[in-house]
Amino acid sequence: MIYALSTTELNELPELKDAVHRLRHDIFVDEMGWEDLRTSEGFETDQFDHEEAVHHLCMRNGRLAGYQRMLPTTRPHLLTDVLCDLCEGESPRGKNVWELTRYAVAPAYRDGRRGVSTVGSELIAGFVEWGLSSGVDQVIIEFEPMWVLRALQLSFLARPLGYQRTYGRQQVVATLLTFNEQTLEVVRNRRNHHAPVITQGGWDLLACRQAS
Amino acid sequence: MRQFDETLQFIDNLDHADSPQAVCKLLVGVTGNFGLTALMAGTVPRAGTPRTRQKSHVLLCDWPSQWLERYVEKNYVDRDPVVLYMRQSPTLVQWRDAAQKLQIGPGGREVLGDAGQFHLKDGFAFPLITLEGTMVMVSLGGEDVDISPEGQGMVSLVSTYAIGRAMQLYHSEAIFDQRPDLTPREIECLKWAAEGKSEWEISRILAISEHTSEKHLLNAKRKLGAVNRVHAVAEAIRLGYIS
Repeated sequence: MIYALSTTELNELPELKDAVHRLRHDIFVDEMGWEDLRTSEGFETDQFDHEEAVHHLCMRNGRLAGYQRMLPTTRPHLLTDVLCDLCEGESPRGKNVWELTRYAVAPAYRDGRRGVSTVGSELIAGFVEWGLSSGVDQVIIEFEPMWVLRALQLSFLARPLGYQRTYGRQQVVATLLTFNEQTLEVVRNRRNHHAPVITQGGWDLLACRQAS
Repeated sequence: MRQFDETLQFIDNLDHADSPQAVCKLLVGVTGNFGLTALMAGTVPRAGTPRTRQKSHVLLCDWPSQWLERYVEKNYVDRDPVVLYMRQSPTLVQWRDAAQKLQIGPGGREVLGDAGQFHLKDGFAFPLITLEGTMVMVSLGGEDVDISPEGQGMVSLVSTYAIGRAMQLYHSEAIFDQRPDLTPREIECLKWAAEGKSEWEISRILAISEHTSEKHLLNAKRKLGAVNRVHAVAEAIRLGYIS
């Protein structure tokens, strides 16, 4: 299940908030080598954890299994302010365009596969589902080039925004993915899971759990 | 910027390509500018794959037909330094570096020597991993290759789009195994079963009841379409769930 939370909502759940920033540090600093983000406390936060960010938390039995953060392109975001050299021309902006950042699957939930894990594909289904219900049909992602192939397999319309460059231990390419209801259908078919993955009124549920 | 516009134009053109052959032709049109005149892209066959089945692994190919025939006939895939290298460490590699790093013997040198006869002197190869975890190897080469690291980046990006388009055209479902969805617990139980542990021992190790471990293994067996436990373990290894 994925809980889509505003930054304010996440701030009110201190344990989960810690888990989110620790996971981000584990994956992006320790695993992928984005040294600029290293902190001595082992929590990663940046200037984009602002009140308009939407945090997608993928939970398994009460534990944080995966995460991604959605940022509006109507204000500064990674492609405009941090990863500018990944974009060759004008970066796409608009209410229907959001940037997906910090996509992360906790190591324990990677199913020992080279492909995309169940949690990983749930996050994909999650952002498509969330987008379609929020008037968003385009997402900018800075990911490893091989994700382009996976995006095409899932019937996203993909277009590069620039050439790949090396960040940390990885090659990264900025890509614009466009999707519609049919994309969601394909993603669900490939996952063999057809029910919605984003919970409605998720925050209350999480708050209850944390309180108990 | 102008080059990037050309890249975008190329990707637009791919969407209009209506066959893998058309995709192949478009891609070689771009890579040819760097002297990369020969293209082979496909899933990497396991060592010992029968020759009759090797061609089914091909997604895009514009090798000279005589070279392809010879490659299959002589079962070069099991000796080709580039393929061996890719199986061992799936990262971008120059053909000549692959040969050097693997310290190939006469078998591998024969493949390279033969390739030279068909004007394939050098090139590079890189892997792509599909949603299902299957590796697709893209190998590009020619007689007179001249490409900068930036050029390689551009070529690998457009190749990725080309492979994606080819897979859409082939209906990738038909090409790739649809692996069953095993839960982490089922995989864990299979791992211990592969170590020769009984259901009771597995239940002790994982601190679950014997009934539960039995249930996990039965579910895994059913999902894998196996007739017994040994068969289930073998299938799980074959599909890459356990090693």
